[in-house]
Amino acid sequence: MAHDTQAAHGHMQDHEGHVLGVKADLEYWRTERLEPRVLQLHRRGVLTLYDLLRAAAHLPSPPIGANEAAHDIEGRIRALEDGLDDYIRGIGLASIDPSEQPSVIEDTRKERGDYDDFFRIAKPHHDGTLEERIARLERDLREYQRLLQVLMHALLEKGVLTAQQLERQRAFLAGRGAWNGARIVARAWVDPAFKQALLARGREAVRELNIPPGRLGKLGVAENTATLHNVVVCTLCSCYPHDLLGDPPWWYRDDGFKEGVVRDPRGTLAHRFDLRLPESVEVRVHDSTSDVRWMVLPRRPAGTDGWSEEELARLVTIDALVGTAEALLPAALARNER
Amino acid sequence: MGAPEATHRFHVGDRVQVKHTNPAGNPRTPAYIRGKSGIVSSLHGRIDNPLDHHGVYPPLCSVLFPVGEVFGGASRDTLSVDLHEDWLAPAGP
Repeated sequence: MAHDTQAAHGHMQDHEGHVLGVKADLEYWRTERLEPRVLQLHRRGVLTLYDLLRAAAHLPSPPIGANEAAHDIEGRIRALEDGLDDYIRGIGLASIDPSEQPSVIEDTRKERGDYDDFFRIAKPHHDGTLEERIARLERDLREYQRLLQVLMHALLEKGVLTAQQLERQRAFLAGRGAWNGARIVARAWVDPAFKQALLARGREAVRELNIPPGRLGKLGVAENTATLHNVVVCTLCSCYPHDLLGDPPWWYRDDGFKEGVVRDPRGTLAHRFDLRLPESVEVRVHDSTSDVRWMVLPRRPAGTDGWSEEELARLVTIDALVGTAEALLPAALARNER
Repeated sequence: MGAPEATHRFHVGDRVQVKHTNPAGNPRTPAYIRGKSGIVSSLHGRIDNPLDHHGVYPPLCSVLFPVGEVFGGASRDTLSVDLHEDWLAPAGP
């Protein structure tokens, strides 16, 4: 009986948690990503508010919430989460730097108030019943998406971005599953504060890199050190942070790998993956449930002082994220790319 | 969300034993670890994960087991297994 009560209560908490999550993510992306960008473009005269008005006039408004009433609460929350993902992907597309110079991030940080609270964009305060808050979020999301849609249209119309650039970016964003993991690792190597945030609250920390939060419970990050090497496995199924990192290597689902790495981690790494670790290094295997999905934070290779994040990210392979390899050495990278 | 510690029955450093069976609980505990003892190494709190399960499971711990104690042999390597607290009982020091 007690169990039933707890489960029912837990189910409600579930909805609460998700609605809070959507709200937090949505407002983060709006106030720290999209709108600072809009303001920046306007201030610079690259794309003004009047350009947006002109573009909006050519764009029909989308139909208003046609099928929202048809869903139950859970369906509506799920639709909100999907809409949020689209919104975040769209912001990624709209955030191509036309000049191809990596200055935008610094500028929008200033613009969004990272260095001065005065510039912070206010966030709405929602209260009321769960259903009322969901309805508010649906309306907000619709309006935020509309601004994004108009921005995109105006960027193209004014020639700030070309359709070709957009297509390239779209393809890049779609195919960069493992690249996300590599970028996370590279940022952690160069930015100790990011690393701390990543280890403590991984799912929230990766927003900084324009990576959509995805539908995972919690992201676990296992850090390799001079005396500890981590490997990830899911013996019960094949849990992996897919949403964040794309698909794992094919052998991740292989029973031979699962069985071997649990019974004899060191031997499996040596024989199957040719990764021979000294006795002084403990091998730790993380067997996950679906609730925490793990990735490995490999060690930064020697000889990479002064490298940019982009260069560093190219050293991080999908195997390194699972822990069956270390990050590439600079020499290996040169070999691979020849 | 909140501090995960608040929801937990166990603490980091506690020695725990994995139950052999747990009819009331969820099935997500690997067979090889049942009946074994380990040390709680981190606490994750209750995790919302509606794609994989409908209700909320009890708080989740990472528990550390020496490979040698689980499978025999001299290995000093470790297994860190994520386990929900309803699968765990306190074990002697």
